[in-house]
Amino acid sequence: MNSAYDVVVIGAGPAGSVAACKAAKAGLKVLLIEKRQEIGAPVRCAEAIGADLSRPFIDPDPRWVDARIRAFAIHNSRGQAAELPPAEPSLVVNRKLFDYQLALIAARAGAEVRTSSAAVGLVVEDDCVKGVKVESLGRSETVAARLVVAADGTESQAARWAGIKTIMPLKDYYLGIEFLLAGMKGKMDPEVCEYHLDHSLAPGGYLWVFPKGDDTANVGLVISADQQGTSPLAYLERFIGLHYPHSSVLAVISGGIPVTGALKSLVRNGFLVVGDAAHQADPLTGGGICLGMTAADMAMRAAVPALQAGDVSAARLIGYEKAWQQRFGAMHQALYRLRHIISHLNQERLDALVGQAAALPLDHMSLAQIMLALLKNDPLLLIEARALITTGLLLK
Amino acid sequence: MPTQPAQKRSSFGIQVNYHLCHNCGACVAVCPADAIFLHNSALIINLHVCTVCELCLHACPLQALSMADAGQRGAG
Repeated sequence: MNSAYDVVVIGAGPAGSVAACKAAKAGLKVLLIEKRQEIGAPVRCAEAIGADLSRPFIDPDPRWVDARIRAFAIHNSRGQAAELPPAEPSLVVNRKLFDYQLALIAARAGAEVRTSSAAVGLVVEDDCVKGVKVESLGRSETVAARLVVAADGTESQAARWAGIKTIMPLKDYYLGIEFLLAGMKGKMDPEVCEYHLDHSLAPGGYLWVFPKGDDTANVGLVISADQQGTSPLAYLERFIGLHYPHSSVLAVISGGIPVTGALKSLVRNGFLVVGDAAHQADPLTGGGICLGMTAADMAMRAAVPALQAGDVSAARLIGYEKAWQQRFGAMHQALYRLRHIISHLNQERLDALVGQAAALPLDHMSLAQIMLALLKNDPLLLIEARALITTGLLLK
Repeated sequence: MPTQPAQKRSSFGIQVNYHLCHNCGACVAVCPADAIFLHNSALIINLHVCTVCELCLHACPLQALSMADAGQRGAG
């Protein structure tokens, strides 16, 4: 580790590795630090990604593609399922190998990668971030940086250190728990991702079964953190005990996901924040791998010219914030509202909606057509969904 | 620019059940006092900064956090 870099990236998840790779490819001197001892571990993810959205950053590789997905099946509590073709080719991946490959791509592009290296503070002078305090393998070091990129995930502290407000209300925080199960042969379709919209299975959230190849699957759920006294683990164990009683548990995965939509402020002087740290996960599903990588790309498109011009002020970096807002702002606002509508529907209406959707020729319909068809059957929902129409989700 | 430590509301504190904790960091994101750190192999709560607001208790998917009883303070 040297004492000065053009860019220091905190966190070697997908967003951090893409940011480091882009900066290194532009000829900048880059350090990518990861507090964990190993890239990609522990996994904290349901591991489904869109192939098209990830392709600009990494080519699909059989080493980390565990399953190719033919359809998403939305289940209700009555045993009905609406099967939707994915909007783009979708994959279930091995995040450990996926993250490792992305970090390797960054390293090969010229970034210096260091694991077991935690950021413990920022160096701030004259209201500008100038570096990072790092603890690496028992040593404390101060590393100077012209730009610091916070890609330190849900538990981001770097954004707070830079004065960006990251705290969210518990209602906008998903708590996730997932088991990687073996012994699932015949109990799932190996090409279908199941989502269960059932408040008795996952209050205020949803439960999923994602195939992982052969007889394995990720079975997990998210509930919103404001469900006082609810144990996500107890819900998951009950579901698995009921449906997959003889399965083996090969991994236990837990984590939190902000589902607020992106932070209002993504930049400071000499500093920007990307990925889960920036709350850029999909506010409906909590999925954030491709969004994090896309955000990192957007961020470096603004930051690289800024670094080359010698001006890393927030006023210069704000191009990243604007680009994000333009591409995802309205859509994520709509998805945020959709999540609130769904989580407040009683089970009877939710069941009716999924039941009606199951009877539609979904293969041949756009999302807008599907939603309009459903709204016709539930006029009350139309009133609740006004906001979605005004924010344009139905027009996409 | 870390958050200033606020007034403590309790003489006890939050404790971590390390048998349950998977070190996922879900609690870190909701801590308004910036009192929880996710180190390589353990979650650490800075009880000097913790305001015992208990938000982290609600944010743990495994319910590994709890209020410490008298005499147990420092388990974090």
